[in-house]
Amino acid sequence: MRIPKSLLTINSLILFTFIAPIIYMLWRFVNFSRSLSSFFQSWNVFNLMFNTITVFFAVVLTSVLVGLLISIVTVRFEFKGSKILFTLCALPLVIPSYIGALTYISAFSPKGLFVQIFNRYGINEIAGIEGFLGSWLVLTLFTYPYVQLICSSALRNLDSTVEDAARSLGVNQFKVYTNVVIPRLKKPIIYSSLLVGLYVISDFGAVSLMRYSTVTKAIYAYYEFSILGDPVIFYSSLLIVLALLISFIQRGSATSRSAKVSGTPRVPKKVKLEKNGKILIYSFLGVIISLGLIIPVAVLSFWLFRGLYYGTDVTSSIPGILGSFSASIVTSLLAIIISMPIVILISQYKSRFGDILEKIMLSLYGLPHLAVGVSILFISIKIFPSVYQSFFALVISYLIVFLPQAIGGGQASMEQVKSNYIEASLGLGRSKLETFRKVTFPLIYRGLFAGGALVFLSTMKELPQTLLLRPTEYNTMAVDVWSFASEAMFTQAAFSAFILLAISAIPTYILSTRNLTI
Amino acid sequence: MLTTINTIQANKGIKLNKKFIALISVMLMVFAACASEGEAGPAGPAGEAGPAGPAGEVSQAAIDAAVEAALAEPEAEVGGTLVIYSGRKESLVADVIAAFEASSGVDVEVRYAKSAALAGTLELEGAISPADVFFSQDPVSLGVVAKAGLFDRLPADILDNVPSWAVDRNGFWVGTSGRSRSLVVDTRDVTDAELPGDIYGLADEKFRNRLGLAPTNSSFIAMIACMIESDGEEKVLEWLTAINGLGYTEYPKNSPQVAAANAGELDIGMINHYYTLRVLAEEPNAQMKNVYLDGGCGAMVMPAGAGVLSTSQNKPAALAFIEYLHSTSAQEHFTNTVYEFPLVAGIAPNALLPDINSLNSPSNLNWSALALWQEKAVELIAQAGF
Repeated sequence: MRIPKSLLTINSLILFTFIAPIIYMLWRFVNFSRSLSSFFQSWNVFNLMFNTITVFFAVVLTSVLVGLLISIVTVRFEFKGSKILFTLCALPLVIPSYIGALTYISAFSPKGLFVQIFNRYGINEIAGIEGFLGSWLVLTLFTYPYVQLICSSALRNLDSTVEDAARSLGVNQFKVYTNVVIPRLKKPIIYSSLLVGLYVISDFGAVSLMRYSTVTKAIYAYYEFSILGDPVIFYSSLLIVLALLISFIQRGSATSRSAKVSGTPRVPKKVKLEKNGKILIYSFLGVIISLGLIIPVAVLSFWLFRGLYYGTDVTSSIPGILGSFSASIVTSLLAIIISMPIVILISQYKSRFGDILEKIMLSLYGLPHLAVGVSILFISIKIFPSVYQSFFALVISYLIVFLPQAIGGGQASMEQVKSNYIEASLGLGRSKLETFRKVTFPLIYRGLFAGGALVFLSTMKELPQTLLLRPTEYNTMAVDVWSFASEAMFTQAAFSAFILLAISAIPTYILSTRNLTI
Repeated sequence: MLTTINTIQANKGIKLNKKFIALISVMLMVFAACASEGEAGPAGPAGEAGPAGPAGEVSQAAIDAAVEAALAEPEAEVGGTLVIYSGRKESLVADVIAAFEASSGVDVEVRYAKSAALAGTLELEGAISPADVFFSQDPVSLGVVAKAGLFDRLPADILDNVPSWAVDRNGFWVGTSGRSRSLVVDTRDVTDAELPGDIYGLADEKFRNRLGLAPTNSSFIAMIACMIESDGEEKVLEWLTAINGLGYTEYPKNSPQVAAANAGELDIGMINHYYTLRVLAEEPNAQMKNVYLDGGCGAMVMPAGAGVLSTSQNKPAALAFIEYLHSTSAQEHFTNTVYEFPLVAGIAPNALLPDINSLNSPSNLNWSALALWQEKAVELIAQAGF
């Protein structure tokens, strides 16, 4: 089946635009002005790489541990409130890491909020949460829900025949999990841990606020140091290659992210618990929910009310709110429009080009925002000065990383449009336009809207690209949170953070859980 | 049979898709049009940046002609839009800029970032820069831009407003206020006796885990550049490595160091003097103070300053802005609200400030020489593991 030329042209154009930043970065890397060995000596590369890899493995490990435990506990055991506790455990997903980090550093710095509140009980100073430990904690808290959602959904669909066999052979409860259940969840675990890993190596906000030197923090530091050349290019390329690698492996594991089921899965009965078991589970979930949800929300509320009480000027946050909205609306609309030709090509024509297009577009999702931002910054200065510092360049860079979300939404719905529906409609004498309006559109608009909504929310929370590329005098809520937090002006930071969360929390939760569970 | 059906389906699919494509193309075009309309404002002037020719190759005659042209009618043509790249924080200068807008009728757009980052951005932008004025918190960032040949020379009457130490020797930028490097000290935990005379003395075991600094702060980088210029690369790297080995707390900026010292979290922070004074003005009983070192680069007094980009499309307004920074009201703002040293004669320094003549700053610092060390300074900071 031949692809119409116009469709091919549009898609090639889109493809080229979207991979241009990667090509540009790698091209700059190849044309490096200094020798790599001198670079490795003088720029502290090993240290930064070591830190990045350490936090990567640490967070992936703990996220998988916590996420998997929550899944097993809530899916396989019977206790009151398991559903609501499951939801509360997944909610930290909606908190951007830089807001999470902001709450932790403001509350648990050596003389922070925690000490101020508990001063009367004789606590004068605490060790403080920052550096590696702080980054580890914060990144774990805001990424384990990915593991929880993906693994619990797989676990629910897992046929219990094999487990039952193991049990009947006298294998104890614990060993059933370590030897049978968890190995059978291998694929969802790998898939979700790589998702977490991508999040970790791209994270800029949390590690910066926690003062932990990773590659992303170094890129921004070198940008602020004014040397916009070699180190920024070097670290950005490094990050891009790393992310593409992880993303590639992750895609490979994506095809079978739910465990295989033959026929109707036999769902095991939920295990009833003794009193001690219940106490154990409640305290485990309680600790997780406190750390991931209650503490951040409580700390933010505290700063917010303190700020309002002391009459902090909140009108200064208005430009940020407007900026966030305008960028998010434009980006999500454009994402819907641009994703349409891609979705049509991928879902309606089976072709090699379509396969490649799909693979490339989806791998863009894992690209570190900071590296993409740096690349667009260079490209706009060096090649397209007319869009430099323009809203347009900012939106393009958002689209590059968020378009896969729109494609996902469109693809899912386009598959419902069977060609015989259209034929039937046409056969009954409807015009093509009418057919689109009455048949195709009603089937796809929900998916398109859901994809667009995800793009809207992601854009609203985006930080590093916005910092690098925003037009003069243009602000977003994320930038406000960041700049106030880095000056330790927590009451002002809390106001923007609170509004950001109030707007995005519930829709983000609904859309993400829909995408991550099957 | 099967193939026929497939072909039919494909055909329908294609026909339907053409509608899609048409729709998409139209919408894309509309969006592209909107987008280019949206950015036409700021991009317009940048696109036509030509007349100055290649930066750095500006002849003396051309500069003189430009200056004379600007001088010829300084008041007549002020207006339009002025883009300022400000390395000075919004909370410190927004009022001054607003007052200038009100009095001159110029519409000002400000891009706030770190001075060093803006200097690098200007270098990268070159001829396409939308900026008219670079307003920097430190002389080294100004020197970097001057070195790249991106500034116009300023007219003599503006340069003469301030003492010669606060002016670029080539006249590319002029100081607007003075600030000193200092240490902010938590007086509950630090005694005067244990403090060293110069910055190198901080690399001492007794300060283990007690120091704070902001490695990306432009004034910190300026101090390191000064140290390289006067003491040589090796000694500076040794010092940086020693400080890193002692354990330090990293801050993104200077102001949170003062807040941390005030809260009792930080013993000694390497900062510029004025944040401390701001807090002390509000909380006179705060348990912290500034300590000015006895000499060397840790005691450096440096100007914040500004220059006009040679690619500026609105030089009359740019010069008017810099002149405004030397006006009595701006100078009084700098000293009484920001707690900096005023640079224009006849303006009384705020009472909280030490006598500028009592500070032991290295004399005769050549700011453009320090600018040559900026890149090396960053490299050493990175190499030491910050």
